[in-house]
Formats: sequence, structure tokens, C-alpha cells
Amino acid sequence: MRAERFGAIAELVRPRALVFVDRAFARRLGAASSAWASDPAGDGDVGGRPLSAPIEAHLQLTNRCDVGCQGCYTGATAHGAPGEWGAEEWKRALDHLAERGVFHLALGGGESAILPWLGEVAAHARARGMTPNLTTSGLAGLDDLLPIAHLFGQINVSMDGIGPAYAAVRGSDRFAEADRALRLLRARKREVGINVVVTRLNFADLDEIIRYARRRRLNEVELLRFKPAGRGAAAFAGLTCSDAQHRAFWPTVSRAARRHRIRIRVDCSYTPMLVHHRLDRRLLERLAVYGCIAGDFLVGARANGALSACSFAPPAPGRPRLDDLAAYWEKDDAFGPFRAWRDADEPCRSCEYHSLCRGGCKAVALHLEGDARRPDPECPRVVDFRRGRAGRIRLPIAV
Amino acid sequence: MAPRGRILATRFGLNPNSSSLGVDVTFLLLGAAALSIFTPVVGALLRLRRGSSAHVVDPPSPAPTE
Repeated sequence: MRAERFGAIAELVRPRALVFVDRAFARRLGAASSAWASDPAGDGDVGGRPLSAPIEAHLQLTNRCDVGCQGCYTGATAHGAPGEWGAEEWKRALDHLAERGVFHLALGGGESAILPWLGEVAAHARARGMTPNLTTSGLAGLDDLLPIAHLFGQINVSMDGIGPAYAAVRGSDRFAEADRALRLLRARKREVGINVVVTRLNFADLDEIIRYARRRRLNEVELLRFKPAGRGAAAFAGLTCSDAQHRAFWPTVSRAARRHRIRIRVDCSYTPMLVHHRLDRRLLERLAVYGCIAGDFLVGARANGALSACSFAPPAPGRPRLDDLAAYWEKDDAFGPFRAWRDADEPCRSCEYHSLCRGGCKAVALHLEGDARRPDPECPRVVDFRRGRAGRIRLPIAV
Repeated sequence: MAPRGRILATRFGLNPNSSSLGVDVTFLLLGAAALSIFTPVVGALLRLRRGSSAHVVDPPSPAPTE
């Protein structure tokens, strides 16, 4: 449990949940903060200010991977990145995160399953009270991963299509290997799912992909928006979903979830596409559904320990490392534009969902607009606003 | 008598993906009524767990950004 300005965040193991409670509830659970007395207005105000520390850290343990996917957001190569950390550096950083009260770790790469010390790091995280979770391609390191699968809370295999569709999105035809990895991991534990990067090529196949997950008795499907980072920057224009697909995302996903009765998770960058359908704002709040929470609910770290607001963001200003997190977190300008979402342009400023959505994905805004502070240009509301504004400008000229 | 307090929000599940913070949309489908039924259960589970002397971290609050 971790004390917060608004109260506390408590962790439940069954069901798996992080529960945000106000100060009165926190006191009943035995939590209290010295900061509460000087800030009476903060009681119950989730999101009013950044959390006292991230709830989750996204750690790229290595940038080594020889699969060469065309859209790889880290630009992973067979040689990895210069100055990659080893087990001892990561374990020291985990100690630091544990002292800050971080709950969950999302371990990725590159392909972290090839690291001979992955189990050592995962066990260390467990010993420090954090839950390590893992994403793998399933295409390398599987024999070493299977015996340590129990150390992870959830393991997801990247799976962007079924059969030939896999190759169309990822650029190499290795569906059979990824499918085998899924079956073997599922035989070891229940908490196994797939990550699906949604692109304009596989959008029409989402129902089939979700049906496949159900057939393999997986416990979840996580749907990820394509991001313009790493090799994904060059591939973005050809792979990002169309505006029509973004608008159809929620109806498509909700239909598939009902039909196949499987848990579906959607990534933070999809929040604009959810709120476009005017979902119940109060319900979104109660489920802590937020848009960009980089540099607040989560942080990222590169393979050399460089701290960033999220995995797609450039290294944080001043180039702090993960083990500098405590000092950096307190800075007024920490994470630059990622914490400046309240200072928004239209149409975000007047949007009733802005305090939840926070302007959408800043990685997309940075790539397409050159400024992470700009509204997410793929948000349907932003698209409509700009079409309307362009119309108003053109009209007198046409006349 | 001390106030009982409120559950403000609940994030379900674990996120294995190192590139985003996934949100479980199950309750978006089930709706507010289902969550209203589930929230008291979560509260009861938390209070039950209190007896297990949960470790409490109290990091300093960050500076305001506004």
C-alpha cells in the first residue's frame, strides 16, 4: 500500500487490482501521510497532481532481438544498444523502485527472454514486493523462459495476426513459432495472453484474432495502437489505422469482447478513441481510465537505464537514469510536456473528457506535429475540429 | 465515529506490455451497475487484508505542476 496526496493506493492480489482510496479509507487500512495536514483540498483528488511515484515501470531490459519487425518501436537489432545494463544494475534500480512504492513492472525489449539473468531479475522484483510481467515475441529464448514462467504475473506474446496476416504486419512469417510459444506457456500458467498492435492491415481481422485467443484459452488480449517510434516512425504512415478505423475501434472491440467472452485491455493511447463514443465519464473515472499518464502513473527506462516518460518518449530532459528517479520526479519541469497536459490547445481544452484523456498520445503528436504538447492529431474530436476550422477559413476565400 | 471513506477508482489486472498502460475494458462493457456491485466486495477484501499488516510506503508528494 502506498500513501498518496488523495489517500492511498492499495494492492489486491485476488482479484488482481490496484485500488485508489480516499484518506478516510486509507486510515482504516493503516496508511497515513505526513503531507495530508498541509493539503486538505487534496483528499480524494486523483489526477489533480502527479502521483508520488509511478505505479508501474516499463523496463526495456535489452534492445537485442534479431526478428527485425518492420514496426519495432525500439528499433531493436541483433547487437542491442550501447551500454546496456546487466543484472546487477537492474537489481539496484529495482531496489530504488521498491523504495518508491512501485507496484508493477512491465519487462520488454528487444527480446528479454534471451537474457540469461531474466529469472534472477524477476525473482529480485518479487523479493522486493513488485510484480514483474513480461512481453515476449515467443521467437527466441523460449526454452529458458518456460522454467521461470511462474515468476511473472502475466506473460503476453506479441501476436499481430493469425497465419499469413502475422507476416503482413510484422514483416516475417513466424506465426507458427509464436503460436507454439503461446501453447507451451499456457501449459505452464493461466496468466498468458497476447499483445496485438492494431494497424490498418489487421484491423479487419480483430474479431478473428480475439477468437483465436479464446480458442487457445488465454486470459486476455491487449490491443495496442501503432506508435511512431523506432522503425515504427518510418512505417507509421503506412500502418497506422485510418480515421474511420479509429472511429470504429470501440464498437468493434466491444462486439468482439461480448461475442468471445474474453478480457480485453486497450492501451492508454486509445483513450481518445473510447471517449469519442461518449462513454460514461464517471465510470471511466472509477476504472482509472486515463489517456497519457506517462511521467505520472508510469515511467519507462531504456536498456542503458535512461529514464523516459514512457517507452516511446525521448530520454527525459537532463538525461536522468532510472536510479535517479526519486530526485528527478520532484522537479517542477520533470518529464517536460508529458506533465504539462493541463495547458492544452483546443479542442482538448474544452473537452469534457480532458482531465481523463489528457490530450491523447504525445508520442503521436510529437511525430506528426513536431510538438508533444499538441492535441493527439488522430483523435476523432481533433480531426473533426480541424475539418470544421479549415472549412470556416476556406469559406470566405471560396466566395 | 470515524468516516468510512470511499473507494475512488479500481484498476484491474496486470499490464505485461512495456509500451503502454493497458486498461481492462470489461467493466466498460458491463457498465456502472456491475461496478457498483463489485466495489463493496473490493472494499471488504481490502479491509480483510488489513490484518495482514500491509507494508505502507509514504513517498514525499511531488511539487504542484499548476
